[in-house]
This record gives sequence, structure tokens and C-alpha cells, in this order.
Amino acid sequence: MTRGDKILYIVCGLLFAAMALLPLFGASGFLLRTITLALMYAVMALAWNFIGGYTGYSAFGNVAFFGIGATVTGVMMTKMRWDFAPAVLLGGVICSLLSFLIGPALLRLRGHYFAVATLGIANAAREIVAGWDDVTGGGIGLNLPLNTDKDFYTFIYYIFLALTILSAVITYFISRNKLGFGWLAIRENEEGAKALGIDATLYKTLAWVLACFIVGITGGIYAYYNTAISPEAIFNPLYSTTPILITLLGGTGTVVGPILGAMILLPLSTWLLFNFPGIQPALLGIIIILTIIFLPRGLYEYLSGRRKLTLAALLKNPRDNQA
Amino acid sequence: MNSIQFAQTLVNGIILGGVLSLVALGFSIVWGIMHVVNLAHGAFIVLGSYITYTLYTSLGIDPFLGLPLTMITLFVVGYATERWIIHWVIRAPLMAKFFITFGIGMLLENLILQVWKADVRSVTTPYSGASLAIGGVNIPLVKLAALALSILMVIVFHLFLTRTRQGNAIRSTGMDLDAARLTGVKVAPIYALTFGLSTMLAGAAGSLVSMTTSFTPDAGARYTVYAFLVSVLGGLGNVPAVLAGGMIIALIQVFVGFYAPALKDAVSFVLLVVLLLLRPQGLFGKPFTSGKAE
Repeated sequence: MTRGDKILYIVCGLLFAAMALLPLFGASGFLLRTITLALMYAVMALAWNFIGGYTGYSAFGNVAFFGIGATVTGVMMTKMRWDFAPAVLLGGVICSLLSFLIGPALLRLRGHYFAVATLGIANAAREIVAGWDDVTGGGIGLNLPLNTDKDFYTFIYYIFLALTILSAVITYFISRNKLGFGWLAIRENEEGAKALGIDATLYKTLAWVLACFIVGITGGIYAYYNTAISPEAIFNPLYSTTPILITLLGGTGTVVGPILGAMILLPLSTWLLFNFPGIQPALLGIIIILTIIFLPRGLYEYLSGRRKLTLAALLKNPRDNQA
Repeated sequence: MNSIQFAQTLVNGIILGGVLSLVALGFSIVWGIMHVVNLAHGAFIVLGSYITYTLYTSLGIDPFLGLPLTMITLFVVGYATERWIIHWVIRAPLMAKFFITFGIGMLLENLILQVWKADVRSVTTPYSGASLAIGGVNIPLVKLAALALSILMVIVFHLFLTRTRQGNAIRSTGMDLDAARLTGVKVAPIYALTFGLSTMLAGAAGSLVSMTTSFTPDAGARYTVYAFLVSVLGGLGNVPAVLAGGMIIALIQVFVGFYAPALKDAVSFVLLVVLLLLRPQGLFGKPFTSGKAE
């Protein structure tokens, strides 16, 4: 761990502490909701980071498990009158079971083919949920019980904050463990990793199931938070793409990258939405294009002091990547 | 389903299949040759629809005569996009290439929204309602023309790729970048040309689609998804495979849609996943090696 890494961990720790204290100082509802959303994306970015960042498998359809988690929670809370906590956990468990069943077969695919297969699963899940009228409410979706407690939004805020910290801690410990090194080995050279005795299928499946479990839980909490869930909303592809963008911006395969990425991108996109409402997507598109061209490995390598942030360093990346 | 319904559904499927092939052709070529999954493909199709719309409503140019103009415009837009943006990441990792096209798609969709607003548009000509009836089967003439033009363009593009010098340069770049370069192919302009041709075909698809269905600026995502289905089913960078893939997806859509409309997309996507697991190279594609598939 370099000195820059230590500083970044301290920054993240202070950020979490400040966020934990925020509601006590009577932060406005708007600020709280903006940060809640940023934290939700941070959790999903950390989840994607396991499979996409560390293991190097470009999962492109994580929204499938977001939607399934939200649907299970919704069905359990409305039709079975379950409480919030067990319903969300069941959503997470069902997501992990499903991902465990399809994982070994799916993870035989690499590169674009894996990305496209996960995209196909996301679309198939949406169509099935939308078509299963009796249980899921079809295209209209479900209305979850409304929580009228005045501290409800603060409660959700703390849940997402806790989940972010928990995911970050899990990432930190795995990344310094045999499992984390195994993932990196698979990412860099899968055949080589196998030759070293790493059970690639098992390691990949673990990364995938862990990611899907966390995303499923996040979907369940989102369903309770938002109360109205329709297949259009909970299977919105943005729930797949935004976490990946956040991770790319922050730095893939790092602990702090997804957190910092979420804390930069989400407030920025909200700010753009308020100041340039009509053209916000276009500006966001330009930011995405520039990030990918000039920061292909994210902000992490500069923030941690591994590389100096100079104009020459920024211009080197596109020169290396052209045909 | 009686015999007339069967014949009608079959005809609808074949017409849809021709158009879907054209929708997917450019996407499949860019994926197969440049190893770029172009998530902005649908947005280029929609841009084609709007250009045809403007040519017809503002200048009174018939959509079929406007087709070449739309295609030329889209070629220029695509060529510039590759030269100025995608060019800089062509050797970057997969996710970077995914997201650069995602960003381009967002930008393009929003620009279309700014220029043409969010209203639902369609290109309706005096002859739009004309149709041919054969033994109880109804065939709208505009759709028949769209089918004929789609298949014509697919065939002409196939001949271009296999019979011309430029086409061979494009194919060899896709097969082995370094070998192509060694034999004197200038790779950078070939990539720009490939991307330009792909968006040109997207423009043609958009132009033909605009005559048969209404459209909005955000219609692109759906086309991109269909392009995915058709290319993966058929196989990449291979023109006849795209035509076959388009027909199969279209027939699944119309026949499943006849019995269970809610499930027509679910069946297509489940088929996509199963096919990827069993035959990742597509039904008609050649086997790929994992290294080259990146």
C-alpha cells in the first residue's frame, strides 16, 4: 500500500463519517435524497467491481438482479404481508441462487459474448416479470406499502450508507486475500491462473454470485424506498450502465474507485440536470466520451499518486489506444 | 390459426425479417471487423428516420428518393464519428469501447431531441395506404418495397465486401489486423470506412422504417437490442448469416406474437442466451477463438 493509498482510505473514512453525521445536523430532504441515490449507485458499483473490475468479466446486465430483487421484495411485502427485512433478504437469496445456477455455464463465455449474454438475461428477466401478470402485476407493477414514518428517508439513507461501508470492507479484505489474488490472476490470464491451480470456475462463480446478491438486496431496498415499481422502471438499463461508468471513472479493481466515482458522477449529473435541464444527457455523454478517451484506467492511479496528473500523461492514453 | 392467418403471419414475418436484417447489418459488421459493439447503432437509425422525415416534410422529397441522401449524410456522420472519437480508443479494453459508443448514443439521442423535439413523427405519403391482396393475404406496398430494398442492399453490401478491393481490405482487417497491415492495408482509414458504411446502412434502415412505423427520438435502444439478437443469432461480420438471423428472429417474433404477444421478446432473449451457451459463434458463423473474439 502506497502513501497515496493510505490518504485515499482516510479520505473515504472521513467521507463516510461526515455522511453518517449529516442527518443529525438537519440536512435538507433534497440533499439527503441525492446522497442516498449516490450511495445506492456506490453499492452497485462495488458489486460490479467484483465481477467486472477484479475478475475482468464484463457483466453488462446487472439490472436483471436489481429488478428481480425489487420484484421479490414487492411480491413478498404486498401479497404475503412480509416485513421489509426478510423480504429484501429473500430477494438477495433468490438472486444468488439464480446466479449460482446459471453462473458456471455463463462464465464459460468471455469478452463481448459474456457481456451480450448478460444483456440478454436482463432483457429476458424484464419480459418475464412484465408478462407474469398474476404474481408481479405485469406491466403496471406493484405498489408497496407506504411507510409514513417521518424518519423513513433517513432510515433508508443509513441502510445504503451501511451497505456501502460493508461492501467496501468486504472488497478490502477479499482484495488482500487468496480469493482476490485469484480473481486478478483470472483477469490477467485465465489459462495461466488455471495452470497455477486456481479453480477458475469456482472463483469466477463466487465473484458473480457475490455481485448478484448485493445487487439483488439493493433492488429490494430501492423497491421499498420508491414504493411504486414497474418493470420499465426497475429494469431500466441505466441500473446496469451507471455503476459500470462510476467504476470506470473511479478506477476498476480498486476499493476506493467505485466510492469516489459515485460521489463525483452522481452529484455532477444532478447538478447538470438542474442547471442545463434540456441538454443534460448530451453533456453527460460528452463527459463519458472524454473520460473513456483520457482516463481509461480511472482517477485512482492519479489520486493515489501512482502517476502524476499532467497534460502529457492524459494525452498519452489516446495515443496508445489508436489503431 | 387457419391457413390464411398462417400465410398472413408468414408474410408479416418475412417483411419484418428483411428490415431487421438491414437494421442489424451495420452493427454486425462493426462488431465483427472492428471488435466494437456499437451501442449507438439504434440512435444512428433514428437519425436516418428524422432526416428522411425532414427531407419529405420540408423539401417535399419523396422518402424513396430521399433514401440515397439520407445514406450519404449518415455515411459522413459515421465516418467523422470514427475518425474523431472511436479512433482514439480502438485498442482500449472492451468496456472502454462499449462505453464510448454508449456516450455517443446518449449525445446523439439528446441532439435529435433538441432538433426535432419529442413528438411522435411518421412519414406518410399519398401512397402509404396502398396494398396488394393475394387470396386474402394483405401486403402493404410500402412494406413490400422496404423488404425488396433491404434485401437488395444486403446483397449489394455482400458483393462489395467479397468482390472489391476495399471490401477485401475491410474483411482482412477484421481477420488479422497485423497481417492486413503487413500486406499494405492502411488500417485507420479502413476502420473509418467500415464505421461509415455501417452508419450508412443504419441510415437506410431508419429511412425505410420511417415509412412504415412512427418514431420518437428515444426509439434507438430498441433497434440496438434487435441488432444484438440478429447478429448473435446469425454470426458476426458475415452478411448472409445476418439475413438468416434477421428472418429467424422475425419469424419467432410474429409467430410467438400470434399466440402469446407478451412473451415474444422473452422467447427471443432466452433463445439468445441459450444459443450463446451452446454455439457462441452463431448459427452460421465460423468458430471463433477467445483471443480474436475480444
